[in-house]
Amino acid sequence: MFTRPDLVIPVFAALAALAAAAVVTPLFAARRRAAGIVHFAFVAAACVLLAWAGLKAALGGGMDEAEFLRLGPIAVPILIDGLSGLFLAVIAVLSALSALYAIRYMDHYPDYGLGRFTAAFPVFILGMAALVTVDDLSLGFTLAWQLMTLSSFVLIRFERRKPENVRAAAKYLALMELAWLLVVGGGLVAGGSIGDSLHTLGGKLAGAGAGPLFAVYGLLLVGFGLKAGVFPLGQLWLPDAHSVAPSPVSALLSGVMLKTGIFGLLRVFFFMLPPGGNGFDAALWGLVLAAVGAATLFIGTIQSVKQSDAKRLLAFSSIGQIGYIVLGMGAALLLSGSGVPAVRSLAAVAILGALFHVLNHAAFKGLLFLTGGSLLYATGTKDLNRLGGLIKLMPVSAAVAGVASLSIAGMPPSSGFASKWTIITSSLLAGDASVLLVLFGIAALFTSVVTLACYVKFFGMAFTASGSEWTVKKEIREVPVLMLLPKLALAAVCIVQGLFPFLFFGLISSALANSRGFLLGEAFTPGGLDGMLSVSLLGIRVHDLFGPGLNAAVAPLVVLGLLAAALAAAVLLRRSAGSREVAVPTWLCGYQELSDKNRYRDHGMFAAFKNFFRWTGGRTSPKAGRRQGGRP
Amino acid sequence: MRALTYAAPLINALVFLLAAPLYEGVLRKLAAKIQSRQGPPLIQPYRDLLKLLGKQTLNSAGSWPFKLAPLGAFAAALAVVVLIPFGGRLGVFAGRLDVIVVIYLLTLGGVAVLLGALASRNTFALIGASREMVTMIMVEPVLAVTLILGAVKLRSLGLAAAMPGAAGAKFTLATGLMLAVYLLALQAFVARQPFDIAEAEVELLEGPFIEYSGPNYALFKYAMMLKQMFYAWLFVSVFLPWIRTGIYPADIVLQLAAMLVVFLLIGLVGSTNPRLRIDQAVRYYAVLIVLSLAAVALAVKGW
Repeated sequence: MFTRPDLVIPVFAALAALAAAAVVTPLFAARRRAAGIVHFAFVAAACVLLAWAGLKAALGGGMDEAEFLRLGPIAVPILIDGLSGLFLAVIAVLSALSALYAIRYMDHYPDYGLGRFTAAFPVFILGMAALVTVDDLSLGFTLAWQLMTLSSFVLIRFERRKPENVRAAAKYLALMELAWLLVVGGGLVAGGSIGDSLHTLGGKLAGAGAGPLFAVYGLLLVGFGLKAGVFPLGQLWLPDAHSVAPSPVSALLSGVMLKTGIFGLLRVFFFMLPPGGNGFDAALWGLVLAAVGAATLFIGTIQSVKQSDAKRLLAFSSIGQIGYIVLGMGAALLLSGSGVPAVRSLAAVAILGALFHVLNHAAFKGLLFLTGGSLLYATGTKDLNRLGGLIKLMPVSAAVAGVASLSIAGMPPSSGFASKWTIITSSLLAGDASVLLVLFGIAALFTSVVTLACYVKFFGMAFTASGSEWTVKKEIREVPVLMLLPKLALAAVCIVQGLFPFLFFGLISSALANSRGFLLGEAFTPGGLDGMLSVSLLGIRVHDLFGPGLNAAVAPLVVLGLLAAALAAAVLLRRSAGSREVAVPTWLCGYQELSDKNRYRDHGMFAAFKNFFRWTGGRTSPKAGRRQGGRP
Repeated sequence: MRALTYAAPLINALVFLLAAPLYEGVLRKLAAKIQSRQGPPLIQPYRDLLKLLGKQTLNSAGSWPFKLAPLGAFAAALAVVVLIPFGGRLGVFAGRLDVIVVIYLLTLGGVAVLLGALASRNTFALIGASREMVTMIMVEPVLAVTLILGAVKLRSLGLAAAMPGAAGAKFTLATGLMLAVYLLALQAFVARQPFDIAEAEVELLEGPFIEYSGPNYALFKYAMMLKQMFYAWLFVSVFLPWIRTGIYPADIVLQLAAMLVVFLLIGLVGSTNPRLRIDQAVRYYAVLIVLSLAAVALAVKGW
């Protein structure tokens, strides 16, 4: 039935295991620890299968075209190619680690049973995995989308006795159903019917007028954009939903679910095209995507700086980071239509950067949400105004949070640096093709400093500074080992992504080369980027694009070595005169001691900046339900 | 020649480490003269650094970020200095790292300062850190555009294209505009009046550095001296590229002399202007950002 049973069977087996988990695990719900372990065992088994099949498709070659899963008269097109494989692998890794984290984390909610959670969590993973596996905009898409949406709705609504959570979940559900309507509507306008693969849909667009094409791509952009969380659509649901869900769920929502929107946009704008691209204005849609991306990263990140709720800060920052990915995709699409081969090569570099940021964001944002969860678990609050000084009490969590913060802020030589470098570089070098793209690139540079401000604040106000010694009544301890393990694993992933970007460039290139019908496929055929892009242990170089010479280069290991040597010099200098260290109290002009009354709180941070950008908006707390009305 | 490629980064580091305190001395002497004081000798900053290195290290925080921060600030500043084509000579790193790395390394130095300030738990330090970060956010685009202007023209982000070459062979409208913006932002780059808002001695008692003493404080001071020397060099290299003979040692001396002029300018403006409030400064930086974006647009259009 299928030409590649070696891919299809493990994926279906994994989906079956997830479905089984949803049925079996709730039976153990009364014994919480057992439920967590059984749940993790099922999810981990499924994820191993998914990751295995995904990496196999990405590295070794996937299905060339959609094949049909037939159930009587109904046929659902299934496509596991390189791109699907890449996303399957991301989903698998983060899902398994979140499930591991959840075993102990769910102790945080003694008042809520685990039945719903353990039933919905595997279905959520199942929905996401199915969504990147089906290849249509009708029946298969609807099934996968609804499984993903309804299960995540249940998960977001987990603390259902809190009115703001119920409200956030309801809003999420309504908007995701709207997104579903938009996407399915886009497919219908394109002339699709049940069983049409995206490739077939693209074929049906041949000869369509400018109006219908505009409608199709517009509907799909808004539909998938709503899911990905782009400005201004993401602001409607994302911060509320991501901040109120249990943390392992938040990690999945931000780390991978948003990426299903990105996956949809990729499939629509880089695969589902009229034959030969006739009638499809790549430059226009590229510019639209790039502009949306630039607006998203700028506004989302500035809104994030304004937040004092740790998880809300992370949620808004997810919008910002999605903006980088969309900017990279837009740049790629915009440049893909150029007549100059060198500019088309830059398009390939941009899409590499965008997909690399997908992988990196999954790792560091997943890790950051697990860190947010650890804060909540250990102290009972996620309010940065009340936290502070946890570094001595939670040293491992602090170190891990430091790695994640540096990564997302894009400090060299971290993972965020490598991917943002790629996106920014390709935008800046595209100078002649579009002035706007250069300006977007500078906006992205500016925004990465704002991101930095955000995470200096997040890390500084939670782990260093002071506050929890006065505001948190319970005894604060480091979180249990079972919660530390997934965090340490993700931190290790972040470090590898930062120091060895060539591994991931290789993986992504291979995944794209193994995706038939990709708009920029030419660049990823063997030798397609030879002589322009060199990727090795010694870093990434873009060269000889417009005549001989270096265009851009980065080498994380060299940066690391340079910084290490400079640090060694600094240590020598510090020790040179044998100065001795003495512990002293904080000095506040001599006649006062640091206390809860005179310490600096989070809401004062960057006040001048926040005031200047007041017009960008960004609510600092979710709206409570109308019936309950305000505070009790 | 090949040996020189390897030597150039070391020469950069040595010259900057040796000369940075001297320029600081010039600033202090100039400020004193303007205020009709005698002023400390030019070599006073060297003595200060040596004295600080031998003093006790007071630690109010007791956590590792507090101790790591001064090291990080110094290391980032030194790494930047090592990379630049000082005296017009590219080092061994030029083929592996580009100007985006330099921009981020400069930011990394700022992060270290902030981390130390937050770790020191002192209220004054936190206020200073908050202001420092706001300043960093708002002046970074100006710095980035200064470096990118050459890149846009030559379509290369390599160190050679970005730093000595922004003005390139001919002086365009974009370069002229950027030169003006750079001068307007210079005091903010080097954190001098009227933009010494984060340290604000009389108000925040050195802000982010209030809890630092001894060798840790020496490292921060040294890093700041290196940084201000870098910004003086950047001006000379980007906007006065014609100051060169092609002979390496002569070019080093010429650039050092031109940097002295920039420092005199910094000192003059710094000692004759009162400090701005942070909200006033933010509005001022916003205008500079808009102007630098205009410069990029002009450069892309080839003007």
